[in-house]
Amino acid sequence: MSKRDTSRTMNIVRKGMGRRYRAEKRFKRIGLVAIIFSLSCLATLFISIIGNGHTAFLQTVVKMDIYLDPAEFDPESLNRADYQGTIKKALRTMFPQVTSRGDKKKLYAMISTGATFQLMDVIKQTPDLIGTTISLWVPADDDVDMFMKGYIRRDVEETDRRLNDLQISWIDALAHDGRIKKRFNTTFFTSGDSREPELAGIWGATCGSFYTLLITLLLSFPVGVAAAVYLEEFAPKNRFTDLIEVNINNLAAVPSIVFGLLGLAVFLNLFGLPRSSPLVGGLVLTLMTLPTIIIASRAALKSVPPSVREAALSVGASKTQMVSHHVLPLALPGMLTGTIIGMAQALGETAPLLMIGMVAFIVDIPGGLQDPSTVLPVQIFLWADSPERAFLEKTSAAIMVLLAFLVTMNAVAVFLRKKFERRW
Amino acid sequence: MKKVLLTVLALVFITGIGNVTAASRDYISIVGSSTVYPFATVVAEKFGKSTSYKTPKIESTGSGGGHKLFGAGVGVQHPDITNSSRRIKKSELEKNMQNGVKEVVEVKIGYDGIVIANSKKAPIFKLTRKDVFMALAANVPNPDGSETFVANPYKTWKDVNPSLPNIAIEVLGPPPTSGTRDAFVEMAMEGGGKKFEMISALEKSDGKKYTEICHTIREDGAYIEAGENDNLIVQKLDANANALGIFGFSFLDQNTDKLQGSFVDDVQPTFDAIADGSYPVSRPLFFYVKKAHVDQIPGIREFLAEFTSEQAWGDEGYLTDKGLIPMPAAERKKYKDAVKNLVPLKLSDL
Amino acid sequence: MQTEKNASVSRTSVDAASGNPAVAGKHRKPHLVDRENRATVGEINVPNPKMQCRDVSVFYDYGEKEAIRKVSLDIGQNEVIAMIGPSGCGKSTFIRCLNRMNDTIDGCVVKGRITLDEINIYDKSIDVVPLRAQVGMVFQKPNPFPKSIYDNIAYGPKIHGLVQNKSETDDLVESSLKRAGLWNEVKDRLDQPGTSLSGGQQQRLCIARTIAVDPEVILMDEPCSALDPIATAIIEDLIDELRQEYSIAIVTHSMQQASRVSQRTAFFHLGDLIEVGPTEQIFLNPLHQLTHDYITGRFG
Repeated sequence: MSKRDTSRTMNIVRKGMGRRYRAEKRFKRIGLVAIIFSLSCLATLFISIIGNGHTAFLQTVVKMDIYLDPAEFDPESLNRADYQGTIKKALRTMFPQVTSRGDKKKLYAMISTGATFQLMDVIKQTPDLIGTTISLWVPADDDVDMFMKGYIRRDVEETDRRLNDLQISWIDALAHDGRIKKRFNTTFFTSGDSREPELAGIWGATCGSFYTLLITLLLSFPVGVAAAVYLEEFAPKNRFTDLIEVNINNLAAVPSIVFGLLGLAVFLNLFGLPRSSPLVGGLVLTLMTLPTIIIASRAALKSVPPSVREAALSVGASKTQMVSHHVLPLALPGMLTGTIIGMAQALGETAPLLMIGMVAFIVDIPGGLQDPSTVLPVQIFLWADSPERAFLEKTSAAIMVLLAFLVTMNAVAVFLRKKFERRW
Repeated sequence: MKKVLLTVLALVFITGIGNVTAASRDYISIVGSSTVYPFATVVAEKFGKSTSYKTPKIESTGSGGGHKLFGAGVGVQHPDITNSSRRIKKSELEKNMQNGVKEVVEVKIGYDGIVIANSKKAPIFKLTRKDVFMALAANVPNPDGSETFVANPYKTWKDVNPSLPNIAIEVLGPPPTSGTRDAFVEMAMEGGGKKFEMISALEKSDGKKYTEICHTIREDGAYIEAGENDNLIVQKLDANANALGIFGFSFLDQNTDKLQGSFVDDVQPTFDAIADGSYPVSRPLFFYVKKAHVDQIPGIREFLAEFTSEQAWGDEGYLTDKGLIPMPAAERKKYKDAVKNLVPLKLSDL
Repeated sequence: MQTEKNASVSRTSVDAASGNPAVAGKHRKPHLVDRENRATVGEINVPNPKMQCRDVSVFYDYGEKEAIRKVSLDIGQNEVIAMIGPSGCGKSTFIRCLNRMNDTIDGCVVKGRITLDEINIYDKSIDVVPLRAQVGMVFQKPNPFPKSIYDNIAYGPKIHGLVQNKSETDDLVESSLKRAGLWNEVKDRLDQPGTSLSGGQQQRLCIARTIAVDPEVILMDEPCSALDPIATAIIEDLIDELRQEYSIAIVTHSMQQASRVSQRTAFFHLGDLIEVGPTEQIFLNPLHQLTHDYITGRFG
């Protein structure tokens, strides 16, 4: 009797097994599809950005033989010498067949205006070169660069290209002599913004981002942690603290542009801090990231097991000692994670910076917290809005730099977390 | 660790607050129009590299935003120059004067054409301003001939003008916050609207209604606001051969292999046609200088000299390479003199 | 409260009805105090007490929930007093009052009077930090700090300033570990984390940590419930030794443990202290019907 009962039960169970396994398989498959989908989205993003941007890391340069006429360069007044004229003269020497005014203009347009400044630097550094002929690799104009990289095609009708047939024939001639080549674009990593794509670089914006985030980190981490510790460990639980908590949670959801307006009203208009400076940018981003850090820190504090608190209190630690000696070290990894998330958010922010004047054309590399500067995402935004075709690849390249920054920050966060966690 | 942090924090604040009290600025601060921005930045960069002064800082705030910041007062925290893709309004100048910005020097730098363009894969459009008005206005004169306005009924270009292709009206253009949109509406739409007798009659009888009719763009999907980013419009046009786009001439100039400018009133938007004024949809570009700042902030005089030099804004100047349409030589001379003598703008000039 | 009481009473009778050979009614000895009587039976006073509790009531949720009701009990010098009773009877709540550990719980209200050496520990002038140094506590789950074994012991003395230099600290760590019977097991790995020890060792580490600050009373909240029988036996021996120097209040679920380690036993039931007396008497001749039911395994 009981034996038959068991086998019947087992039969029912076995009958159901197929369905249960199918459900499990289905669920696994859905998960797999979700992961493949998100990975392929990410891959598409990376492929398109890298595909567009990798060429920006190369730059077309042209080798010029430049005669430094002693009549032109007076070592006493190097600033007033006609560098542009010298470059033009050198170009004419290279292509003596070019005579008409219009063609000359086309010829001059093939070399970047940056050549002038490069020549100036060279001569100022070694004035002894005056009177000799030097050969110098100078950057080509962005149109030539685009042609070399294949963005301007030969087979397009002449009127529809930014380079005409004559210019292309000059490029061919240069290529034949080995006087034109692509090399690693150091300019991109060492100079500030420029309206000439071949001279534009990311370093100015990187410095701006660095200073801005430095201020943000130095202010928001201690303030955020202190606020979280006070609210979580010391503050009495009453209506007033409830109100504060609700407000902090609300602030985390406030659109960032509002913080920009606040920064404009308080830091610029009331305190008179300098417009467009990383100092103000950092302050505004501090306001923006504080709620994130406070919320994450409070969650981290809450997750510290009560047994640790009890242990500390039972040997006679005061509340402050309990918090600073035991709770805080255990909560620190969580707090760091929250801070890094906040920082990454701040790194990608442009909207609030618009209000305080950091969306600006800035060529000089900021040297301090007071200098006008811009940040990486703003630089991307500005380049994306520039008419020159060559800025398209710069935009993608800048995005790659920004992503590299984010990855580095996250890696640092993981490293710090591991390090602190190892202290049991 | 904590002590280091505190020290750094204190230092940051001391340097931060300490320097502010010094209250000086050794670079020129420029704000204003995003249309003038590509030209002003080129001059600024050139100026920064070829002189010992710092490179001016240029913010792209839009013309209106620029005038607001510029006119807020005199002092280092306020900008020295504002760019504008339209002339300053009388109300703005009055506001400036109330705020102590008594003397403002106006400098016209050249012209910018607004083009209506499409992809080279499609046939070129030959439009009139009247076509543009009929295709894009929110309300148009009743097609049955009665003296009333109806919501724009035209779906295809052929409906607008039988000589145009039979494709749906799809125009990508800037949003209302943009100076390009203002200028387009004023010159192309209003210019086209005026061709209707009943609208030009309105101009005298009911100015408000006239502006409303001419300046309101339809919102039923035929006109798509594509954001301030003109590059985005260029890319979308390349992908969609049936669409037209509205943007500044410099973007067409950089993308001649992909895009073609439509004829407007039988004139194609070329450099020469805009320069000699035969292309109807073009506008002057300006910047305004705060006279009170000229000798306070180092380099303003030299910057103005650079901007108004022939090698910058002349017929062959480097600004033309960036798509600026130069003024005739006589006009250039007039503004160059105004800059040299810093002649302030009077309310009666507007 | 009232319904709960009824429920427990009826549960006893259900037990009796469901085939338990010992029917409750039959076992009721006429000389025992009736179940319904909630007043404390037995001698709560001891000569020369270390701590005295009078009419201690504890409420949770700002007075909404009453956890223990008017408990009066003395804790004598150098004695081990065991608190027994079914789950939720309030024995843990009671001993957590003795070092004001309940202060850390939001909404917990303690009424009545608790004295340590005739000083009211709930007086406004009393600082809770030195009090906890005087009345140490060992918890149910071993909770060493996530630090080294050495730091676990040295932490308390350091914050109280009981040691001035490294050698004093070393000595104190050694003596505390020796007294807790852990020295031989850990002397070679003092720099390893306390959490790397076995459960029994961890609990002894916690005891060593408690005695390192030289308390007068040690409270133990089910110190052996997470340990195996061998570790339990070691801790029980340790408790017996510690009695020479300290007064110890221990909460336990195990009646055998209570009978092994304690001199006096207090039986709690649903927030009331039902009976208190010498351990031997509680286990052999309880005065209250509920105590009798509990120790004979009828409920709990």
